[in-house]
Amino acid sequence: MIENAKQPFSDEESLGVLNSYVRSWFEKNFSELTPPQKYAFKLISEGKNLLITAPTGSGKTMSGFVAIINKLFDYSLRGRLENKVYCIYISPLRALNNDIYRNLQRPLEEIFETVRKEKGVNIIKEGIRKVTIGVRTGDTPQSERAKMLKTPPNILVTTPESLAILLNSSKFVENLKSVEYVIIDEIHELANNKRGVHLALSLERLGHITDGRFTRIGLGATLYPLDEAAKYLVGYDGAQPRDCLIVDASWSKKLDVVAKSPVRDLIYEDDQKIEDELYKEIDRIIKSSKATLIFTNTRSGTERVVFNLKKRFDYGEDIAAHHGSLSRESRLEVEELLKKGNLKCAVSSTSLELGMDIGAIETVLQLGSPKSVTRAVQRIGRAGHSFKATAKGEILVLNRDDLVECSVLLGAALKRHLDSFAVPQNALDVLAQHLVGMSLTQKWDVDEAYSLVKSAYPYHQLQKQDFTALLNYLAGNYVGLESRRVYGKLWYEEAENTFGKRGKFTKVIYMLNLGTIPDEVAVNVIVEGTKKWVGNIEEEFLTRLKQGDVFALGGKLYQFNYSKGMKAYVIPSSSSAPTIPPWYSEQLPLSYELANEIGEFRLGLSNLIKDHINKSKVKKLKGTKMPKEIDSYIGELPVDQKSKEAMYSYFMEQALFAKEIPSRELLLVEFTKGFDDDKYHLIFHSLLGRRVNDALSRAFGTVLAETLDTDIGVLINDNGFLFSFEEKPKITEKVLGEAISELSHGSIYPLMKKAVRNTELMRRRFRHVAARSFMILRNYKGWKIGVGRQQVNSQLILKAVESIDQNFPILKEAYREILNDVMDLPRAELTLSKLRKGEIKYKLIETPFPSPFAHNMITFGHADVILMKERHKYLQQLHKRVMKKIGG
Amino acid sequence: MQLTKDIELLEGLPVAYIRSLDALAVADLHLGYEGVMAKKGMLLPKVNFKKIMETIKEAAEKTKAKSIIVDGDIKNEFSEVDQEEFNELFDFVKSVREMKLEPVLIKGNHDNFVERYREPFNLKIYAQEARIGDYLFFHGEELPCEIKGVKMLIMGHEHPAIGIINAAGRKEKVSCFLSGTYKRIPLLVLPAMNFYAAGVDINFQSRASLLSPVFGTANVDHMRAIAVGFGSTMDFGEIGKLRNQ
Repeated sequence: MIENAKQPFSDEESLGVLNSYVRSWFEKNFSELTPPQKYAFKLISEGKNLLITAPTGSGKTMSGFVAIINKLFDYSLRGRLENKVYCIYISPLRALNNDIYRNLQRPLEEIFETVRKEKGVNIIKEGIRKVTIGVRTGDTPQSERAKMLKTPPNILVTTPESLAILLNSSKFVENLKSVEYVIIDEIHELANNKRGVHLALSLERLGHITDGRFTRIGLGATLYPLDEAAKYLVGYDGAQPRDCLIVDASWSKKLDVVAKSPVRDLIYEDDQKIEDELYKEIDRIIKSSKATLIFTNTRSGTERVVFNLKKRFDYGEDIAAHHGSLSRESRLEVEELLKKGNLKCAVSSTSLELGMDIGAIETVLQLGSPKSVTRAVQRIGRAGHSFKATAKGEILVLNRDDLVECSVLLGAALKRHLDSFAVPQNALDVLAQHLVGMSLTQKWDVDEAYSLVKSAYPYHQLQKQDFTALLNYLAGNYVGLESRRVYGKLWYEEAENTFGKRGKFTKVIYMLNLGTIPDEVAVNVIVEGTKKWVGNIEEEFLTRLKQGDVFALGGKLYQFNYSKGMKAYVIPSSSSAPTIPPWYSEQLPLSYELANEIGEFRLGLSNLIKDHINKSKVKKLKGTKMPKEIDSYIGELPVDQKSKEAMYSYFMEQALFAKEIPSRELLLVEFTKGFDDDKYHLIFHSLLGRRVNDALSRAFGTVLAETLDTDIGVLINDNGFLFSFEEKPKITEKVLGEAISELSHGSIYPLMKKAVRNTELMRRRFRHVAARSFMILRNYKGWKIGVGRQQVNSQLILKAVESIDQNFPILKEAYREILNDVMDLPRAELTLSKLRKGEIKYKLIETPFPSPFAHNMITFGHADVILMKERHKYLQQLHKRVMKKIGG
Repeated sequence: MQLTKDIELLEGLPVAYIRSLDALAVADLHLGYEGVMAKKGMLLPKVNFKKIMETIKEAAEKTKAKSIIVDGDIKNEFSEVDQEEFNELFDFVKSVREMKLEPVLIKGNHDNFVERYREPFNLKIYAQEARIGDYLFFHGEELPCEIKGVKMLIMGHEHPAIGIINAAGRKEKVSCFLSGTYKRIPLLVLPAMNFYAAGVDINFQSRASLLSPVFGTANVDHMRAIAVGFGSTMDFGEIGKLRNQ
């Protein structure tokens, strides 16, 4: 059963489970137990599975380790500690592994030292030995691995991938049979992706090897829903999830947060002024705080902020950038400086969001929306080093949508409404890897293997036919007999219901190719006719470019000419704005839950505003004052007065101009003419998060393209999506109604499959899945196959696989990944059914030019400092026209 | 589609039919492709041979042609013929003969060892280029030699394709014939038959990056692209004009 741990134990109860040596070490080093520790010592010592969530600085790691260290010293004191692995600690980050190693090494030494002092030579007599710890990751040198094989550490610190390799190393496996504890750290970073799915299967395989149970301990920062995470951690025993207790200490740190606008008027204030005020405000915060951690949402943004702060103010080496594109050394250096308190401010994209102890941060400053409540709480939680401290966080917003979003987001954080995560279910590519791994260790009965797999939470619902289809694929049963020697990764006897190892190279192939992180490639952008390299773009972005497209890179504009291999040739562009939206994969997507919260807020405010307009017969915005009830409604959110005023006028403008405000209960569809081009736009103000919008836009796009018999350009945004038409299409309420009724009639899965079939997204994801399922080997007989090569013809491989079977496992998985992980098909379908039932209403309006709520969407919705100038001018023009109409 | 009075580009197929020779002309089959790729770790499903044979069968039934001229690169591997390829080569010869098509091979750059099969298969193989009727067939990795009095030059090697941008701004790649002139003599470039090697979109590549030395003289921008795909064959006009869509 999964249940919450009832109440904390008293300090005496907790410390009472420790032996005198461990206890006195703990009491010497810590003045008290932190909230999670008050549960964990006792429960872990009783061998209970435990999921612990707690913020940074709450002694989370120690809460997991102390009882285990205690147990190992118990063994040692009784002369029973052997050269075996008793505890495996797994984290997704190598850097974190090294950190943990250093943090545990000392206590182990210290405790042993006190034992030695007390026991003297008796140590040898009684066979008391040191409790050892060792790190094993991809970075571990061969010599150390060999040493580890002979004398394995009692506590093994590793990554999911290295664990998988150990499970297939026939000698090392012997050392794992003694495992009693497994700790998974940063569980929120694993449970929602394929790396975590991979790990879940590894744990079940470890369970098979240890021939029984080990205690599972999960550590996480902020995550929701917790019972889902607990099931992921412990898996199933038959039809029931294994027992697990949840310790939720994630709210033990107080939050002090506010959303701020750098200027009073985000529309008309001169863009230079906005930028100046923004940096002044940042400077003020840094100067008034002991140490500040700034989050931007992009790597380029990180560099820009550091550059600007140094240029504008008197900062030098006391400010540093930290992001994924920097070398490992420079990142480590920044972390060290932070820890020692030598940095006044660090600027990061996402890389400092989790993991390493980074010392005492007083304020976390977020520039622009972090797009998810969980992420915001996680980031702000980096402030305030001890669990008793208050985490101080500020968000500076960059436009009016941002303002609404960030205010609601912080409101939700204070109310503890988090975004939920989802574990990918039945990922066939990851399973394919493990089946090969399993076949290498023994001959399997198919049903036994099937039930082992099903005990992992991400496969609990796995259909038997998918399992056997995968075995057939892996056995090479889709090619002729003579080629199976090359294609087959295992043998499968359907009649005998068994499978096992095939070929002498399979093990090498397996060890070199396992893992779930796809090879990605950066395309070099080069100025045509020179050899000047101006930066990188993503492959996926390249595939969307056509000759003449103008795009932004590093704050400058370039016109795309042509590409060759992994190089894109461009010429510097003098045009004023990009013609193609910045690729948003670098931008974080708005979560479904936060979108709903915003929809809810819009609903409440919209009702108040409509009342206000009706009651006071307001016709023009000018001269109206914000009524008290609206002031106090917005005031429930953590915002300053400037922001309240800005939100009020934003909503008033929309209500006066369009008569409707889209909300959780109203899908507003706006048909309008482009402002400075001849295009027509159909804008869906659907506030459902990026993943749902991604799916919905494609579904509507497909149906509308068919009904209207035309090609449609699509733009997806966090606040909705829009279709562009070269010629005026015949859009009526009826056309819309029919589209909805067609889409809500049964599942849209077949339609969605068709809609994504010919996209670059499909090509790319298919390549990833094919690589994970060992159809395209990244490492083979000493060769490393480049991504370019992998990508070549993936469209054709796709076609070839389709001609074999529409349900070919690799194909099926590629669709699943796109529709369920990249997009959110289930919630898109839910939305459609709500539209049909009238639980969400829809309304078509026609406007002479885009309504205020569409402005940011029309201008690419790119909330970043980059190209703010151009967007800003455009926005001003748009806004002026609106105000002229409603009389500002 | 009728290219000349004598040459028909079969609708929707990467195959030319030459009436005066009663022959099909194809190029770049790269048989055994998957086997070679598998050795490099790309386990492509085996469909190339099957698809090629389906195409040839359709062309043979439509035209009742008596021979099939393979204008180079019937097989894939550079160095030696391996078992996989041998099987497919064997099956190819057997199958086309069953369709009453006599194979005629022009050697391509991938065909170094194909000579070996002249005897056992009783094959007609031309080493460099071949004057057949009024036409000069050559693969294309080298310049043609004896072009005097030739009515048309026919080559392969380039795997030509064009990129077309649809209204939604997405690029689609379709393989194509290229029709133009080389030293004032008409030149026809055949599309690749190979399922996996569809080629590059020529209208988005610089002239210098093309494979065949023929394009040092023949200006590809003045050649017409006749696209094959989606069940039809369509003239898209000059490559030069397709560069700015």
